Amino acid sequence: MKIRIAIFLVLALVLLLTLAAAAKTGDDGKDKDKDTSGARTGVSQDDTARLQGEQRFRSNCARCHAAPPKFAPRMMGTIVRHMRVRATLTDEDARLILRYMSH
Amino acid sequence: MLIFSLWAKKATQMGLLCLVCLLSITVQGQEDLGRPIPILTGSTGYFTRVNGGAFQDAPSVSPLLLVPIGDKWLLEGKGNYSRTYAKGQEGYYEGTSSYGMTYGQIDYLASRYVTITGGRFTTPFGIYGERLAPNWIRPLQITPMIFSVPSGASLGGMLRGGFPAGSEKVNFNYAAYFSANNTHHLLATDRSTGGRIGFFFPGPRVEIGASFQQVLQLDRPHSAGVHFAWQPNRVPLTLRSEFVRQSGTKGSGYWIESVYRLSQVPYLRRLELVGRGQQFLADPKLTYAQVKKLGALGKDAQQADAGINYYFRSDVRASASYGRQFVLGRNANLWVVGMTYRFVVPLGPRGNPL
Repeated sequence: MKIRIAIFLVLALVLLLTLAAAAKTGDDGKDKDKDTSGARTGVSQDDTARLQGEQRFRSNCARCHAAPPKFAPRMMGTIVRHMRVRATLTDEDARLILRYMSH
Repeated sequence: MLIFSLWAKKATQMGLLCLVCLLSITVQGQEDLGRPIPILTGSTGYFTRVNGGAFQDAPSVSPLLLVPIGDKWLLEGKGNYSRTYAKGQEGYYEGTSSYGMTYGQIDYLASRYVTITGGRFTTPFGIYGERLAPNWIRPLQITPMIFSVPSGASLGGMLRGGFPAGSEKVNFNYAAYFSANNTHHLLATDRSTGGRIGFFFPGPRVEIGASFQQVLQLDRPHSAGVHFAWQPNRVPLTLRSEFVRQSGTKGSGYWIESVYRLSQVPYLRRLELVGRGQQFLADPKLTYAQVKKLGALGKDAQQADAGINYYFRSDVRASASYGRQFVLGRNANLWVVGMTYRFVVPLGPRGNPL
């Protein structure tokens, strides 16, 4: 039984690492694309980040609860860190939501 | 006994001392405007319940202390206290208190893919326990019947995280944990292991996932479950569902819930309509003694609930619901009326808006 659990855990770890590597490769490519498209359209990076933050907020936070008021940035930093753990937010989602909710 | 109580006293004193030190270090070391500060948050509630004709009044409070340490650490401690007033055998209302620690954990954000958690934490199984359980979040105050099939709390270590799975069209999230056995009457946990995986599609806003738990003590039952959530982009509707099956004595069941916010109706924007259907199938091989011990999980049951929530503000909500439970030989009406308030108190300088 213990061996089976150990095998299961190792397999799960391998799968996670593979997915993590795949995700990282995908992200790197996308970041480059985003930079060029932003420059082409002339939309400020701030506006883009805010729009993306609102989208991420609606997709992630509003799935479970009503929209809270916007708190001061230092409070929001703690709340978003808590929610990153509890709701398994991605690093990017947490960053964009923090930016959106701190304005 | 005397030695144990002395040890417990010293441990409590040391714990408080460490907490004070941590708080002062955190507050002192965070002069930068962007640094997060410790906060005290949580919720209070007051609910009147009528279960099969029996009245209950229950005020409650669930404080949550969040202490960020540096850029990577977060200390979380959540407790709960409630007092329930119900008619005793002599016909007078009597109050009974209940309290406990929901979780007390430390999180380390090791990388963008992994967070390491240690301590007492909510078992990552399905979506209800970790995300919908706080009374200011849950659309209906009555918990689903299958909520207590897997162990609700664990004591040990956990790895968890979420990241885009190859593209922005799908996010993958996971949690894997190991828990030790703890027999303390307030902090009891089972020796168990398990985890959850989930895929979230931000475009159509659909989430699907699966959970597993293997208990490693007594009759070593395992529980398996799947969950689903969908929020259509064009309609203010949320659909959620969970299914759980246990190999032991606790049976299987499912619930489906819909929440519709009337945000498109001018005078009813703050109103939310909720409906939930659920079914529980008890293990058919249960003995009479086991049925008695399991209580609500000892018999087949169906339940339908309908409710409304009204948001006075985003943090103050009034709720009312009616449910009908169908159990062999004991059908019952379930009424709940009450209010919740979510509070957030900063424990340090808040800083200015960006």
